[in-house]
Amino acid sequence: EELLLLEGENRVLEMSSTVPKSSNIFWHDCPVGKTDRQNLLKQKGCVVWITGLSGSGKSTLACTLGRELHTRGKLAYVLDGDNLRHGLNKDLGFAAEDRAENIRRVGEVAKLFADAGLVCIASFISPYRRDRESCRALLSDGSFIEVFLNMSLELCEARDPKGLYKLARAGKIKGFTGIDDPYEAPLNCEIEIKEVDGVCPSPSDMAAQVITYLEDKGFLHE
Amino acid sequence: SCLREKPVMSNIGKSTNILWHDCPIGQTERQKLLGQKGCVIWITGLSGSGKSTVACALSRELHYRGHHTYVLDGDNLRHGLNRDLSFKAEDRTENIRRVGEVAKLFADAGTICIASLISPYRRDRDACRALLPDSRFIEVFMDLPLELCEARDPKGLYKLARTGKIKGFTGVDDPYESPVNSEIVIKMEGGECPSPKAMAQQVLSYLEKNGYLQA
Repeated sequence: EELLLLEGENRVLEMSSTVPKSSNIFWHDCPVGKTDRQNLLKQKGCVVWITGLSGSGKSTLACTLGRELHTRGKLAYVLDGDNLRHGLNKDLGFAAEDRAENIRRVGEVAKLFADAGLVCIASFISPYRRDRESCRALLSDGSFIEVFLNMSLELCEARDPKGLYKLARAGKIKGFTGIDDPYEAPLNCEIEIKEVDGVCPSPSDMAAQVITYLEDKGFLHE
Repeated sequence: SCLREKPVMSNIGKSTNILWHDCPIGQTERQKLLGQKGCVIWITGLSGSGKSTVACALSRELHYRGHHTYVLDGDNLRHGLNRDLSFKAEDRTENIRRVGEVAKLFADAGTICIASLISPYRRDRDACRALLPDSRFIEVFMDLPLELCEARDPKGLYKLARTGKIKGFTGVDDPYESPVNSEIVIKMEGGECPSPKAMAQQVLSYLEKNGYLQA
């Protein structure tokens, strides 16, 4: 493979055969960058990654958080596992390798949204620790905020908002997280939300916990 | 609660048991916040036709006017989301498909999303157009002749293609299917290519005239 040296606006990029499947690929610099966009939006781009069992309340929290941020004049966008699987990831199923690719793609998209200056709220079971950590690695320090909805299987199953636990228990769905597919709890998440005295916090309270974190870390101003 | 009372279950593609979630904040609310309409400006053309240049110039002009934009550049995406794809025909199709879906998400977020890719196959571009209703897909055709692009050869790729070191290079040994119904066509004027700023202004005028720069 040839070694190509080329100059971008302010950068020199060295190409070699170690570049992934597309060679002859170049970085393009643009005069409008992340900082400019953050100044325009008066916030800092980041990814709030909500993980937990089915029925733990991820989408509810994502929605509530999005609404609270909007009320404060902040631009947020929810990437929801179910919504993405109708579009970008409609070619993927729930086998382990497809779950990994699902999460990989979502991580890359979330990275783009953070680069665009948005608060990107990603709401995915994302059961495998390695896949979540790969997404974390895509983002600069501190801008990947993992929120673990640590609700018990019993609570999630009792809710069963989509009737999926029932189907899984009856053997009609295979490889369902929590029943016959593992959920690997985060070991180092930024925010953990759990039941208090056997009661799940309200969506507003959970959102407030995340907002406080974002405010304290400076994401809600430029 | 953000969820509907009765879940709507669907079997879409390879995923079963997928549920649509409603959210109280949607595109309309975000557009009001940003003072613009979310849309996708899809810039297509040969390598060296100036797509990335126009994308950057346009994003700058829009940013100075207080508009939120984001550029999806074919090359940049191939370092991340699309790092697993090559330039074979089926991978080009998948590359375009994924970019189209991501651009749709950005438009839904209220952003003016500028996508800059060769995107040589008409069917693939039209598939992206179909993802965005309500005229939110604005195709910009960089209609500059192969000779001009090759004379520029900004990345040295035409030279490599002509000597057979790259195979399947658009314009040399892979087809470019020109758009037949682009909203905007950028061409030479008086034998010269317009300046980046003039080309950006052409797109900007279209956006202004058609109401995209207000909610």
